[in-house]
Amino acid sequence: MSETDLAVIKPEMMKPYVWLQTSDDSIQQVEQEIAMFCPLICQEIIQKGMGSSKNCAICLPQQVSPAMLSLILDYCRFHQVPGRSNKERKSYDEKFVRIDTERLCELTSAADSLQLKPLVDLTSRALARIIEGKTPEEIRDIFHLPDDLTEEEKLEPLRNITADPRIRLLNRLYAKKRKELKERERLKNVEVEEEHVDDRSVDDLLSFINGNDGDPKGVKTSKNKKKNRRKKEQQKNSSLKEASELNKKEVNGHDIRHQSSEAEIISETSYLHYAEDDAFTSKPEFDDGDIDDEIDPALKEKIDREVEDFARRLNSDWPERMQELLSSGQERKTVLFTADGFIRRHA
Amino acid sequence: MRPKLAYSFPEEVLEHVFSFIECDKDRGSISLVCKSWYEIERWCRRRVFVGNCYAVSPATVVNRFPKVRSITIKGKPHFADFNLVPEGWGAYVGPWIKAMAAAYPWLQEIRLKRMVVTDECLELIAKSFKNFGVLVLTSCEGFTTDGLAAIAAHCRNLRELELRESEVEDICGHWLSHFPDSYTSLVSLNISCLGNEVNLSALERLVSRCPNLQTLRLNRAVPLDKLANLLRGAPQLVELGTGAYTSEMRPEVFSNLAEAFAGCRQLKSLSGFWDVLPSYLPAVYPICSNLTSLNMSYATIQSPDLIKLVSQCENLQRLWVLDYIEDAGLEVIAASCKDLRELRVFPSDPFGLEPNVALTEQGLVSVSEGCSKLQSVLYFCRQMSNVALLTIARNRPNMTRFRLCIIEPQVPDYLTQDPLDAGFGAIVEHCKDLRRLSLSGLLTDRVFEYIGTYGKKLEMLSVAFAGDSDLGLHHVLSGCDNLRKLEIRDCPFGDKALLANAAKLETMRSLWMSSCLVSYGACKLLGQKMPMLNVEVIDERGPPDSRPDSSPVEKLYIYRTVSGPRLDMPGYVWRMEGDSALRIS
Repeated sequence: MSETDLAVIKPEMMKPYVWLQTSDDSIQQVEQEIAMFCPLICQEIIQKGMGSSKNCAICLPQQVSPAMLSLILDYCRFHQVPGRSNKERKSYDEKFVRIDTERLCELTSAADSLQLKPLVDLTSRALARIIEGKTPEEIRDIFHLPDDLTEEEKLEPLRNITADPRIRLLNRLYAKKRKELKERERLKNVEVEEEHVDDRSVDDLLSFINGNDGDPKGVKTSKNKKKNRRKKEQQKNSSLKEASELNKKEVNGHDIRHQSSEAEIISETSYLHYAEDDAFTSKPEFDDGDIDDEIDPALKEKIDREVEDFARRLNSDWPERMQELLSSGQERKTVLFTADGFIRRHA
Repeated sequence: MRPKLAYSFPEEVLEHVFSFIECDKDRGSISLVCKSWYEIERWCRRRVFVGNCYAVSPATVVNRFPKVRSITIKGKPHFADFNLVPEGWGAYVGPWIKAMAAAYPWLQEIRLKRMVVTDECLELIAKSFKNFGVLVLTSCEGFTTDGLAAIAAHCRNLRELELRESEVEDICGHWLSHFPDSYTSLVSLNISCLGNEVNLSALERLVSRCPNLQTLRLNRAVPLDKLANLLRGAPQLVELGTGAYTSEMRPEVFSNLAEAFAGCRQLKSLSGFWDVLPSYLPAVYPICSNLTSLNMSYATIQSPDLIKLVSQCENLQRLWVLDYIEDAGLEVIAASCKDLRELRVFPSDPFGLEPNVALTEQGLVSVSEGCSKLQSVLYFCRQMSNVALLTIARNRPNMTRFRLCIIEPQVPDYLTQDPLDAGFGAIVEHCKDLRRLSLSGLLTDRVFEYIGTYGKKLEMLSVAFAGDSDLGLHHVLSGCDNLRKLEIRDCPFGDKALLANAAKLETMRSLWMSSCLVSYGACKLLGQKMPMLNVEVIDERGPPDSRPDSSPVEKLYIYRTVSGPRLDMPGYVWRMEGDSALRIS
């Protein structure tokens, strides 16, 4: 709109100032030319004829406090000058968004409510840069957001999993198979017990991972509770020796429990939001790098010793195994590459 | 403190903020912040990357992200490239295409790696997505040129069609003619892996009517004397892969070619060069200084010719070459190509018993000294020493990908006869940002101790014929915090380390172990204890149940998943569950 157009439509609009009311109900006078930069204000002036006096001050949206208005007007004041170079504008913008995150959020909201798109873009990009590279916890802290995704929601159950006919068939077949296996087990009872005796040391090793197996609800839910797991680890570590004894006794009970929870698992498979590539890039809820750090040093030593022990036992019959491997793998040795002699370049 | 601060953002504003965040990891973080962010994020997610097609079901992806425009999916494990994964293993893209055809009418881009793609899939793609633009198939198989014909015929807005090293049944070279005459939107065409001739006149017409064509990678069957014409039809080309680079030596072919190349002032990347006749190489000299990427890995020419060419490429960033380059050539590169970031040296005669070229560890050392930006290396050679590796490590602490393939397994340091533990140890110690590492040569458990101690940023590790005991595997699994993919073959790793570190496996994408010492019993136990993993035993000898629990399995592929057991396992794959291997026949 040219100045002459405005003069024809409403003489009052030629006044250099416009009255704006901010969120704290205070009213201020602002250069009209600058204020018109904001589409919302522009609309109010032109379409509704507001803002020409204190009595008909334009009521700005809730998000616009006096401080925010001041910032926005600074922005408008700078950019409405036509002569500036792109470099100047860019430099100004970069400095402009170097404010604390809280104010940046406020500013984004305010700019959005005034429909000032260039400023919304600028502040949004700045917020995006703040978010990039941070963990969910850090983001929550910065933006004062609640941690309201429940553990169960983070393990969002697959919807209608049992509706898929293939899954239903699979369930039936698994159930049938499990029955068959149970039968076979009852017949092979003696052998199974012996196996358990052999596996005892392995179960010891696994006991700290499977501290969750103490939970009768089964493996799935407790496995993914980061905090609970850590607490359980700590509890477990402190009463370690008793725990390992307990686990030996629990071996049989554990198996039965697991079989009953299998049905749960298959019919109600839950899932994690996985890190990065696998699914679609959510961080795992637990960080197993920590697990080792929290192990009681005595247990760690025990594990190390067991692994070494096993290594020694292995190495004693290693020469024979190596022979086996070498003789069977002879033709494979040089097959590091595809059969037609072509090495995949993009491998 | 204003706890309600973020709620004053309207959804559109948050969406707008999210639109500037593209990295998958960050999108993941956003979705885990809180309920409202999770919801907003899933509605505005446009690109999805699925690193393992069995980690999640198509239905889950499609339900969670309703507005996806671009998807990348990877299938078979990496060792499939070395023929370690038998035929029919899986990685069928069919279910994905079907699900997306129904849910994403506006899907624009599909990128697949190591997946089985059928002609039916290609037809479905061609007919389901109105605005389909990008199809990249890397190391895929299962389709024919008929499927390509369907894509050509129906995808009016196709921009990229790339078949990188895929196995295509080449039925008919006329599939190219299925691009309608009105079709002009091609930006990138890569047919380098096709075995047979394509219809050359159709190709010429296609190339000359697509003004935005930037990438053209021809196959071997395109003769050299046709290349000049093609180039003249597309002087705006940025990336070119020649066909066979040989012809009867005729002066007009050469001058034609030289002129055509000179006309392509935007060319930055060259590849192809099958059957190179060295006297034709000077045709490309005029554009060498513009090149940032050169792939001579199919060019069987000797060192002097290679050197003449490469020494003119002062702006080279990426070089793939055969070991004909020799140490001398690599020294020249070290002196001339100061911007080199990535070097791949492939073996010309991998099955030969004696070295056929003068390429040793020295070549790599020279490049590591001369090229300060070198960060990615794939190097095939026949000898290595600890001192060389240490030198490389010290020279290039900025290394991010280091894959050394000493051709003969278990070869020691040729100077001292020691294992190469110290050398690789130096690599992981000095290169703090190392993300990918492949080991070779004689290696004991010690190297794994180094890797576990220093390889904190390591994401992918490839191991073959290395280590002494479970301790080796234990070091890696317990020490490498960021490990995502671990692939092992022919190593004496057994049950203990695997079971002790079972929980680690849930933080990784996958673990492959073949010809190791993991027992069937341990696999069952793992499958039983870790329901979030698919523990798949691959054994072509028959059902593992027919052998004792202590018997080692042939191959083991373990990966985390949210979609439970897969339904398409072939007869030689068993998923471990409870007390037995379940196989639904």
